[in-house]
Amino acid sequence: MNLQPSTTDEAFRAEVAEWMRRHLSGRFESLRHRGGPGDEEADPVLRKEWERELAAGRWTCVGWPAEHGGRGLSIEQQVIFHEEYARAGGPGRMGHIGEGLIGPTLIAFGSEAQKRRFLPGIVAGTEYWAQGYSEPGAGSDLANVQTRCWQEADGSWRVQGQKVWTSLAHESEWIFVLARSEPGSKGRNGLSFLLLPLAQPGVRIQPIRQMGGGSEFNEVFFDGAAAEAGHLVGKPGEGWKVAMGLLEFERGVSTLGQQMHFAYEFDLVVKAAQANGSAANPQVRQRIAQAWCGLRVMRYNALRMLSGGEGPGLKREALIYKYYWSNWHRELGKLALDVLGPAGDVVSDDPRIRPLQQLFFFSRADTIYAGTNEIQLNLIAERGLDMPREPRPTA
Amino acid sequence: MDFTFEEQQVAFRDAVRKFLMVEAAPEMLREIWETESGRSRDLRAKLADQGITALSVPEEFGGIGLGDLDWVLINQELGYYAIPDSLSDTAYLAAWLLTRLPSDISLKKAWLPRIANGTARIALGHPVNPFVADAQLADLLLLWHNDEVHAVQRDQVKLSFNPSIEMSRRLYKVEWTPSDATRVAPARIGRDLWEGVLNRAALAVSAQQLGLAQRMLDLGIDHSAQRKQFGKPIGSFQAVKHQLADVAVKIEFAKPVVFRAAQALATNRPRAAVHVSHAKLAACEAAWLSARRSMQVHGAMGYTWEADLQMFMKRAWALDAAWGDRAFHKTRVAKFIFAEGSELGPGDTFN
Repeated sequence: MNLQPSTTDEAFRAEVAEWMRRHLSGRFESLRHRGGPGDEEADPVLRKEWERELAAGRWTCVGWPAEHGGRGLSIEQQVIFHEEYARAGGPGRMGHIGEGLIGPTLIAFGSEAQKRRFLPGIVAGTEYWAQGYSEPGAGSDLANVQTRCWQEADGSWRVQGQKVWTSLAHESEWIFVLARSEPGSKGRNGLSFLLLPLAQPGVRIQPIRQMGGGSEFNEVFFDGAAAEAGHLVGKPGEGWKVAMGLLEFERGVSTLGQQMHFAYEFDLVVKAAQANGSAANPQVRQRIAQAWCGLRVMRYNALRMLSGGEGPGLKREALIYKYYWSNWHRELGKLALDVLGPAGDVVSDDPRIRPLQQLFFFSRADTIYAGTNEIQLNLIAERGLDMPREPRPTA
Repeated sequence: MDFTFEEQQVAFRDAVRKFLMVEAAPEMLREIWETESGRSRDLRAKLADQGITALSVPEEFGGIGLGDLDWVLINQELGYYAIPDSLSDTAYLAAWLLTRLPSDISLKKAWLPRIANGTARIALGHPVNPFVADAQLADLLLLWHNDEVHAVQRDQVKLSFNPSIEMSRRLYKVEWTPSDATRVAPARIGRDLWEGVLNRAALAVSAQQLGLAQRMLDLGIDHSAQRKQFGKPIGSFQAVKHQLADVAVKIEFAKPVVFRAAQALATNRPRAAVHVSHAKLAACEAAWLSARRSMQVHGAMGYTWEADLQMFMKRAWALDAAWGDRAFHKTRVAKFIFAEGSELGPGDTFN
C-alpha cells in the first residue's frame, strides 16, 4: 500500500488543472458546475461543443488504451483527472454513456469492425449514445425483457418493443438495446445486444416528465427499427453476458467523477449553512460532519475497489458501492433542504439555492436507478455472502 | 388519560372524509394546480357547506364554537386529500386569533360571520414564515409587527409572488406599513396571541402531515400489490413489504403525540408549546419516511409527474419547513429539557 502521490502524478495534476483553467473559460464559462445529475438538460448544444474541446485536448476517454484513442492512464491518474475536472467545475459529460459504458463494452466484446466504426466517434465527441435496457415490465427484473428482435434475410436486424427511463435519448445518435432474439425464451437466455441509430422511421422518442418538472428521461418505442447485420455485439443469444459486463463498468471507474461532484455539492451545503447561520445549530453541525465522514469513506472505498483491477470483473467490495453512495447522496439532499429551511421551498435562480434544490429532487431517485436498494442488498447477501437466493417463480 | 375522540367528532370527520373522497380526486387537484390562483371557489364553497369553515367561530358569531381537537381530525383529512387551499389558516387560525382580540368588537362582527359562512379568506403573516400563503386572495391580512397584531386590507399591501416547489402552494412576500390605524392588539397582548397562532398552525401542519403520510403509504401499498417483477407482486417480497410496515409503525406512533398536543392546547396546559413541537417533529418524520419509502416502492414511476405520489410528497416536503422547521422545533424541545429546574423525572412524564 502506498497512498502518497508520486512526483509524476503531481506534474500530471498540474497539467490537467492548467488545461481546465485555460479552456473552461470564455464561451464555456457558463457551463461551470452545470449538467450534472438532475441538471442534464442544461445547454446540450454548448456541452457537446465542450466535449469536442476536450477531445481536441485528448481529454476524452482518458482511461481507454491508446490503440483505441485513449491515453491509457493508470487508475491513479484517472482519479487525478476526474478530481481536477470536477475541481475546475467541469460540466456533466454528455459523452459519459459512450465513454463509460458502450465504449469499454465494445473494447471488451465488440468486433474489430465495430471498434473501428464506433470508438472514434466517442473519442472525438461527435457521436452520443443512449442506453436501452429498462422496460415497463423489466425494471428490477431486468432480464424480463419483452422487446423482440429478429434477423431479416439480408442479415440486418429488426427491433420491436419499448424501452423506458432512457437518459438523453433525444440528444443522442445511437442506442444500444437488449432484445429477445429467441422467441419463447425467458429470463437471461435468448437475448441479443444490438446497436441502433435513433434517427430512423422505426424509432419514436417521447420525453417523461419528472416530478420536478424537467425531462431527462424518455420512453423509446421501436416499431420494426433496423440495425445493420454487423451491429450485433457478441453472439446472438449472448446479450445478457455483454450487458452484465457493461453494468460492471457503470459501477466502476465512471463513478469517480460523480464522487468529485458530490464533494462539490457537499461544499455548497456547508457554504449555505454558513451563510444562513444554520451552521451554528448543533443538529446541522453533526449531520454535516457525518456527511463529510461518509464522503471520505466512499472515496477511499472507491479507490480500494479500483486499485489493482483492470478487467471488468467485479470485486467483492464493488458490491457495496452503489448502495453506499446512493444512500449517502440521498441523505445529503435532505440535509441540503433542511439547511435551506423555508427558503428551499421556493423556486429560485439563486446560484446558492437552486443547485441544492436540484440536488434534493434528483437524489430522491438515487436509491432506485441503476439497481434499487433492495436489489443491491440482495446482491450483497447472495453474491457477497453466499446466502440462499430469494425463491424465484419457476419460469 | 383517554385518547379516544367523541363520537360526534369522529362522525364529523367521517362525513368530511366521504365528501373529500368524491370532491378531491387527484385529477381534480391537478386541474386546480394549473389555474392562476391555484384555488377553486367551487371547492371552497362546498367545504363551507360541510360546515368546516364554521368550526372554530363562536356560536354568537354564527359558528359552531369547536376547537383544537376537532381540527386535528379535520386537518388529517385535508392532508390525506392534499386540499390545495389554506383553509385552516382562515377557519382555524384567523378565527382563533380574531375571537381573542382584546376589544375591537366591530372587527369580530365584520369578519367572524364571514369566516363561518365561507365568504372570507384571511391570510396570516408570522415571522417564522418568510412568506404569506394565499395573500393574493385574502380579504384581510392579520400581520405580525413587533409582537403587535395588525389587521390590513389587501389593497394596503404590496405582494410579490414566489412560486413554490409544491405546485398547489401560493406564497407571497408582503410589504406593508404598520400604523395606529392597522394595530388591533398591542405587543403585551399580541405576544401570547401570536404564540397561540404559531402553536395551532404547527399543530395543523402536524395533523396534515399525518394524513399525507397515510395517503403516501396507501399509494405505496396499492402499487406494490399491482406491480409485478420476477413473476409476482413486488409487495410479496419482504424487502419491500417491510419498508411499508416501518411507515405504518412510524405513523401510529406519531398520532398520539399529535393528539396529546391538541389536547394540551385545548386545555391551555403550560407545556403545550413543547407538546406541539414534539408533535411537529414526530409527524414530519412520519411524512418524510412515508415519502421516501413509498417512492422507493414505486420505483422509477415514483419520480414521474404522472404518478400521483408526487403531489403528496411535495406537499409533505414543503410543510416540513412551514411554521417552524426542524431546527426551530428541536430547539424548543431542547430549551424546555435543559431549562433550570425542568420537571423531567417520574411523576412528570405525562404532564
